[in-house]
Amino acid sequence: MSLAPEIAAPEIVTLENLRRVTRERALGYGITLIAIGLLEVLWFGAANSALQTTIELGYNSSSAMPPITSAVRVIPLLIGLLLLAPVVSKRARAFVPARIKFTKGVRNFLVIVGGYLIAWPVVLWLGVNSDGALRTMTIPDSATGYVVGIITTVAGGILAWRRLDRSASPLLYTGLMLFMLGFLIWVARGSNVSGLHLQLTGILAASVAAATFLIFGSLSGTLCERSGVVNIAIEGQFMTGAMSSVMVASAMNGTGISLFLGVLVAGVLGALLGWVLAVMSLRYQANQIIVGIVIVAFCTAVTQFITSQVLDVHQNLNGAFPLPVWAIPFFSHIPIVGPILFDQNILVYVAILGVIIVNIALFRTRWGLRVRSVGEKPLAAETVGVSVTRMRYGAVILGGFVAGLGGAAFTIGAGTNFTFGMTNGYGYIALAIMIFGRWRPYGALMASLLFGFTIALSANLNIYLSQLVIPQQFISMLPYIITIAAVAGLVGRIRPPAADGVPFSRE
Amino acid sequence: MKLELRAVTKHFGSLAANENVDLIVEPGQIHGLLGENGAGKTTLMNVLYGMITPDSGQLLINDEVVDIRDPKDAVTHKIGMVHQHFMLIPVFTVADNIILGSEPVKPWPFIDHRSATERIIALAKEYNFHIDPSATIENLPIGQQQRVEILKALSHDAEILILDEPTAVLTPQEADALMVIMRTLKSQGKSIIFITHKLKEVLEIADVITVMRLGQVVGTTTPAETNEAALATMMVGRDVNLVVEKPPANPGEVVLDVTNLFVQDDRGLTAVKGVSFEVRAGEILAFAGVQGNGQTELVEALTGLRRATAGSVLLNGTELVGRSVRDVLNAGVGHVPEDRQRHGLVLTLSIADNLVLDQLDSPQYKSWSGRKLKAIQENGKKRIAEYDIRAQGEDEPLSALSGGNQQKVVMARELSRELKVLICAQPTRGLDVGSIEFMHRQIVAIRDEGVAVVIVSSELDEVIALGDRVAVLYDGMIQDVVAPTTSREDFGLLMAGSRPAVTGATL
Repeated sequence: MSLAPEIAAPEIVTLENLRRVTRERALGYGITLIAIGLLEVLWFGAANSALQTTIELGYNSSSAMPPITSAVRVIPLLIGLLLLAPVVSKRARAFVPARIKFTKGVRNFLVIVGGYLIAWPVVLWLGVNSDGALRTMTIPDSATGYVVGIITTVAGGILAWRRLDRSASPLLYTGLMLFMLGFLIWVARGSNVSGLHLQLTGILAASVAAATFLIFGSLSGTLCERSGVVNIAIEGQFMTGAMSSVMVASAMNGTGISLFLGVLVAGVLGALLGWVLAVMSLRYQANQIIVGIVIVAFCTAVTQFITSQVLDVHQNLNGAFPLPVWAIPFFSHIPIVGPILFDQNILVYVAILGVIIVNIALFRTRWGLRVRSVGEKPLAAETVGVSVTRMRYGAVILGGFVAGLGGAAFTIGAGTNFTFGMTNGYGYIALAIMIFGRWRPYGALMASLLFGFTIALSANLNIYLSQLVIPQQFISMLPYIITIAAVAGLVGRIRPPAADGVPFSRE
Repeated sequence: MKLELRAVTKHFGSLAANENVDLIVEPGQIHGLLGENGAGKTTLMNVLYGMITPDSGQLLINDEVVDIRDPKDAVTHKIGMVHQHFMLIPVFTVADNIILGSEPVKPWPFIDHRSATERIIALAKEYNFHIDPSATIENLPIGQQQRVEILKALSHDAEILILDEPTAVLTPQEADALMVIMRTLKSQGKSIIFITHKLKEVLEIADVITVMRLGQVVGTTTPAETNEAALATMMVGRDVNLVVEKPPANPGEVVLDVTNLFVQDDRGLTAVKGVSFEVRAGEILAFAGVQGNGQTELVEALTGLRRATAGSVLLNGTELVGRSVRDVLNAGVGHVPEDRQRHGLVLTLSIADNLVLDQLDSPQYKSWSGRKLKAIQENGKKRIAEYDIRAQGEDEPLSALSGGNQQKVVMARELSRELKVLICAQPTRGLDVGSIEFMHRQIVAIRDEGVAVVIVSSELDEVIALGDRVAVLYDGMIQDVVAPTTSREDFGLLMAGSRPAVTGATL
C-alpha cells in the first residue's frame, strides 16, 4: 500500500509569530516594573529614616498552638530540602521512583511544599512564639522601601533585557507583590510607636473571606460560559441566595442544621434561576444577555418586596447567624498560611474545593470534554451525538447552584443579616473576574483572591487614614478599577470559548 | 455495506431541496455526487446523516429499512461524514476531537487518555496516516485536519463515508493525497459518497456518478460512459462553455504599483510581509494560494478596508495607503469582496438600493431630501436587464436572490462606476457553473476595456483560466510570479511554500 508523502502546508499560526508577541509584551511588563521599582525607591524609600513599622505576622487562631521546641523545627527544614532536591539537580532525580512521572504539576507541587518547609523554621520564628503567643516583627521603613524598590527594578530589568517569554509571569507577580508589601509597610509607617500595627495575616485572611462569593460567582460564570451560555444573572442569583439563606436559618433559629439548610436552599434557588435562564435562552432562543438582565431585575424587585413587606415587619426572620468556623487540625497551625486558608468557615472550604472539583471535571472527565466542546463548536458536538441543549442545561443549572451558594456567602457566610442591595454589583464583577481568570477555574480563584485582597484592603486601611495621602474613597474604588483594567484586556491575549453566547439550532 | 435512499423529499418552505431522490451505493464503491450549488447534494447528505429530518422517503441499509433521526443514529449505523466545514474543535487536541462523543472512560467519569491515544495511533497506522494525537487542531494544516476528520469517522467504525466537497480547501498535492486515501479506503471495503462540483476529480476517482439538479436526480452514469462536457450539461441543464474565451492581453501603462506592503491581521500578527507587484492597464494579475496566506488582508489593504502598516499602493501615481475607503473608491478602485454577504451587500435592502450603495452621494442619486428614488429604480431596472439578474423586480430584497444573482448585483454595481482597477476576491466562490461562466466573461470584458484587474482566488482552475500573470502567495509573501501555463505540479509546490525550478515561465 503506497501513500503520498506528507505535505508541508502553511502553518497559519506560526510559533515564531506568537513568541515574538510574547516577547514584545515581556518588554512592556519589564519597563512597567522598572517604573514601579523607581517609584518605590523615591516614594517609600523617602520616608523618615527614623520611622519603623510593626507587622503582626501571627494571628489569633481559633484554637491554641501546641508548643514546638527548636529541635523539632529542624525536621521540616530537612524534609523540605529532600523534596526540592529532584527539582534542582538531575542526579537527585535519578532516585525518584520511575512510577512517578516528573510532570510540570509534580514539579510545581514540590517547589511550593519544599520551599515552604524550608522557610518553615524562619516563618515559625517570625509568626508565633513557641508558646503560641502572637508574634510581631518590627522593620525600618526607609530601608525596606529601598530594598523592595531595588528588587522590583532588577526584576523589571531582567524581564525587559532578556525578553523572557515563559518565565515572565513569576517575575511580574513577584514585582507586583513586593510593591503591595512596600505600600502596606509605608502606609503603616511609625506603627511601632502609634501601636496601629500592620495586621498582615489578618488582612490576608480577610481577603480570602471576602473573596468567597467572588470565587463562587466567577466559578459559576466559568461553568456557564464554557458551555456557551452567558450567565449575566449571577447578580440575581447572589441576591436570592443571600436573602433565602438568612430566612431559612432565622426561621429555624440559627441552629447548626438550619445554617446548612440555608446554604442548600440558596443553592437550589440559584439553580432554579439558572433553569429559567436555560429555558429562555436554549428552548426559546431568546437573547441571553437580555434574559439575564431581566432575571436580575426580577430578583431585585422580589428581594426589595420581601425586605419591605416581610423582613422589616418580622425582624426575627432576618437574623445574623454566622456559619461555624472550622479550624482544620494541624493545618490551621501552620504559620501565616494556617489562619488564612485553614481557619475559615465551611463555605470558604466549599468554594476552594469547588474550584478544584470543577477544574478536574472540566479538563479530565467526559462531562467536561463535552461541555467545552459545546461551548467551542456546538455543531461539531452535535454531529458526534452530544446533545448541545442537554449539556448546556446541565452547565447553566449547575452554574446557578454555585452562584446561589455565593449568595449565601454574603450573609450567613459573613455572619450578617440581609440588607437590600448588599450584593452591590459583585455579580457583574464576578464575570469580569471570570475573564481575568481566562475562563479557567484556577484563574477564577486567583483573580477572586486578588479582588478579595482589594476589598479587604479598603476595609482595613481606615485606621491609617491620617497616614494615607490618598483619600480612602480611592482605595474603595480599587476593585472597580481592576475590573475595568481586566475587561479592557490588560491581562493580555485572552480567548473566550468560541461559541460563547451564541444560540444553537441544528438546521 | 449497501446503502439505498428511496424517494427522499425535503422542502424548505416552498423550495424543494430534494424531490423524490433515489440513490444506491454498493459496498466498496466510490459514488460521485455531482451538482451545482443549491442542487440539494448537501441537503440529501444531511438527511442521510440525521442532521435534517426529511418530509418523506426511506433509508435502507443492507436492504433493511432504518430510521435515522439524529447524527448519533447515523454513527450507530456506521455512517460517517466529513463535512465541508470541518466539524473539529480548533482548540482541542487531535485525540480529544476523535474521542468526543464516544470517550473511553476509566475509572468513571475520567477520560482514559492513554487507551484513547493508543487506539488512535493503531488506527492511523492501519490507514497509513501520519498524525500526532497530542497536536492541537488549529496548528495543523488543512489537509491534516481533514485526515483527522476521516480518522474520526473511521474510529466510529464507519462503513460508509460521506465526503462533502473535500477538495475545495486543499492544495493540488493535498487533493492527490486525498485521492490515494480514498482508494485505500475503497480497497478495504468501505463505501464512499464523494460530493463535488469539480468535474475532473469525479471523473478521476468515482465508480458511479449521480448528477443532481434543482433537488432531483437527473441521471446516473460512470466515468467510462461520459466526459466533462456531458456532465456539465447534465448539471446545468444546457450547454456550458467550460473554457474561458480570452484573447491575448494587451497591457498598457502601469496603473497599480504596490511596493513593500506590510499588513497585520486581526490578531496583530503580520499577515502580508513585504508584497510588491504592479498591474498594467488591460491585464489580469491573478493571485493563487491556499486560503489564509494573507489574501484577505492584502485585498483589504488594497481597498482601504484595512490600514497597511508599511509600504505604498500607488494608483496612477497617487498614494492610496492611509486614505479612506470612500477616497479609494472615488479614485477608481472597484472591489468585489471575498464575502459578498458580509462586505458586498446589505441583504435586507432592495436590489435597486444595493446597486447604488457606493454612489448615494453622487448628484445622480442624491436629492435635497435624500435619495432620488426614481433614478435609483430606473438604474435598478436597467442593470437587472443588462446583467441578467434573475429577480421578481428591482424592489425585491436582496436576501431573496440566489448566490449567483447576488454576485451579479455586486459586479453590476462595481462596473457601473468609472474604474481604473478592479479587485475581485474569490469572484466565483459558491457559484454554479453557469454563473461562473458569466462572471468570467465579465472580468475578461472589463480587462479588454483597459482596466487593470486583480483576481484573488483559491481555485487554481480559475486562476489559470483568468490570469495573464499568476502570483502565488505563501505565508504573506509572493513566492513567485509565473505564467498561467505553468504546470499544476509546480503551482502546487509553490502554493505549499517550496520553490520549484519553473523554467522559462517566470515573468
